[in-house]
Amino acid sequence: MHHGPKGDLATGAAFAPDGSLWVAGLNADKRLFVQHASGRPLGAWSEPQLLETGNDEIAADGESRPKLAFGPQGWAVISYTMPLAKPYTGFIRMLRSVDGGKTFSPPVTVHQDRQPITHRFESIAFDRQGVLHTLWVDKRDQPPKGSGVAYAGAAIYRNTSLDGGATFGPDTKLADHSCECCRIALASDPSGELQAVWRHVFGEQTRDHAFAKVNGAEPNHVTRASFDEWQIKACPHHGPGLAPSEGLKDPPGYHFVWFGVRKQRGQDVAAVRYARLDAQGAPIAQTVRALPDDKAEHADVIADGPRVAVVWRSTEGPRTSLKAWLSKDNGKNFSLTTLAQTDGINDHPRLAQQGSRMVVVWRLPQEIQVHELDF
Amino acid sequence: MNSIFKSLLSWLLGTVLGLCLGAAQAATERSSEVPAPLPWTEATWREQLKSGPRPAAYLFTTSYCSTCPDAFETLARYSEGREPKVALIPVMMDVGGVKAQRHAQFFTGLTALYAFDGFEPTIRQTIDPKWPNVTPYIVLVDRHGKLQHSIGPPNAKALKVWLR
Repeated sequence: MHHGPKGDLATGAAFAPDGSLWVAGLNADKRLFVQHASGRPLGAWSEPQLLETGNDEIAADGESRPKLAFGPQGWAVISYTMPLAKPYTGFIRMLRSVDGGKTFSPPVTVHQDRQPITHRFESIAFDRQGVLHTLWVDKRDQPPKGSGVAYAGAAIYRNTSLDGGATFGPDTKLADHSCECCRIALASDPSGELQAVWRHVFGEQTRDHAFAKVNGAEPNHVTRASFDEWQIKACPHHGPGLAPSEGLKDPPGYHFVWFGVRKQRGQDVAAVRYARLDAQGAPIAQTVRALPDDKAEHADVIADGPRVAVVWRSTEGPRTSLKAWLSKDNGKNFSLTTLAQTDGINDHPRLAQQGSRMVVVWRLPQEIQVHELDF
Repeated sequence: MNSIFKSLLSWLLGTVLGLCLGAAQAATERSSEVPAPLPWTEATWREQLKSGPRPAAYLFTTSYCSTCPDAFETLARYSEGREPKVALIPVMMDVGGVKAQRHAQFFTGLTALYAFDGFEPTIRQTIDPKWPNVTPYIVLVDRHGKLQHSIGPPNAKALKVWLR
């Protein structure tokens, strides 16, 4: 599956209930496809199955990518952002399957608001009860330009579907003042309730991170999850990662990775950092540390019990390395390993998990690699 | 009375429609004024530094960077009417062709538009190895070729140094 100089490599990955690994992305003709592979070690990928998306343009670059999620009753959904003609605008679209991904419906728009404005950078997940949650970055609350009213950033909106994406509840606001173009990370708490973390604009232009319960009753009940104090009116396009922390000796919380710039000894230091968050989403100060790679980009985190993996890509000269930082003690100690290297374009690393099995999916122009995470 | 009212209404509707069409046409004309993007290759930066315009501002941007138009406007406002004329050059890092032009509509007063069709980290390493994946990334070139780098809009001091 070859691509041009740039390609649209951003790809989503998820395990199906039967243990097969699925990916969704765009082919060289910019058409949406899914592929799957089974077994351990993973067997060959199935032939790409092209999906009907009409005239939709589909975002598949960097933080914005097609995503897959599997639910109960054979439900499977694929979401993507459809950019509209006007720059920075889009609709969140979704295809749905009721036969475990054998067939998919045509795409529908997920949100009720249909203004040609920003509805982008969606994240999707089924919770333990089988409720499908969709969250996205939304600009409906921005005052008109020239009105003299200031509104920093965008907002996080969400809705739910109780029938696997056949119908959707109302759009509700989770929080005002999100950053405009970073992915939203989701993770379950021990009871199965979804939690979210995203880059947020605190005050006028401090771009740190906010944490909130997805199903919260009132908007703007957020906990500040990072304190880089990065004051910048710019687009980092570099969203966070979140995974449950359920080490036996530690109270429940979350593993959290994020990119930011903070002052250290008077200097601006850019880094991807790791911390454990407590159950409310506040960082545990003594756990905050930078990844051992000053070129680390687009890190994500995944965990199962005390096993934690932080994965990122790192480019130096023409070469990009796919790296992993592995912990067997709930994030107290990590060991660094390089999983793969390539020259030229490549996607961000994508993580997928089924129980104790954790994999990294890394798409290159010529292949989709899968790396099992062995601790 | 009725016919007078109808005539007045018809004239009003026609005028409003005409104004709307005129505005739409003007917008289309403005968008067609954005020049087609020039290719930005790994060699372009070296060439620009050697023989590119001075003073100049290069604004490295992306199609998703909604904070970039404001940063460009800051540069345009500050450099307006200056002599020698200041070159304002957006570089689209993630899209080319018509898409790049579409986004460049927000950059009123641009001198030239470039588009890079490659792996984004490559362009960042060429410009500044310490540049994290953040846009806008701005390089100000003064009349002597001296560079200043800025993530996001440059501060007042940097602007002053740029065009002093």
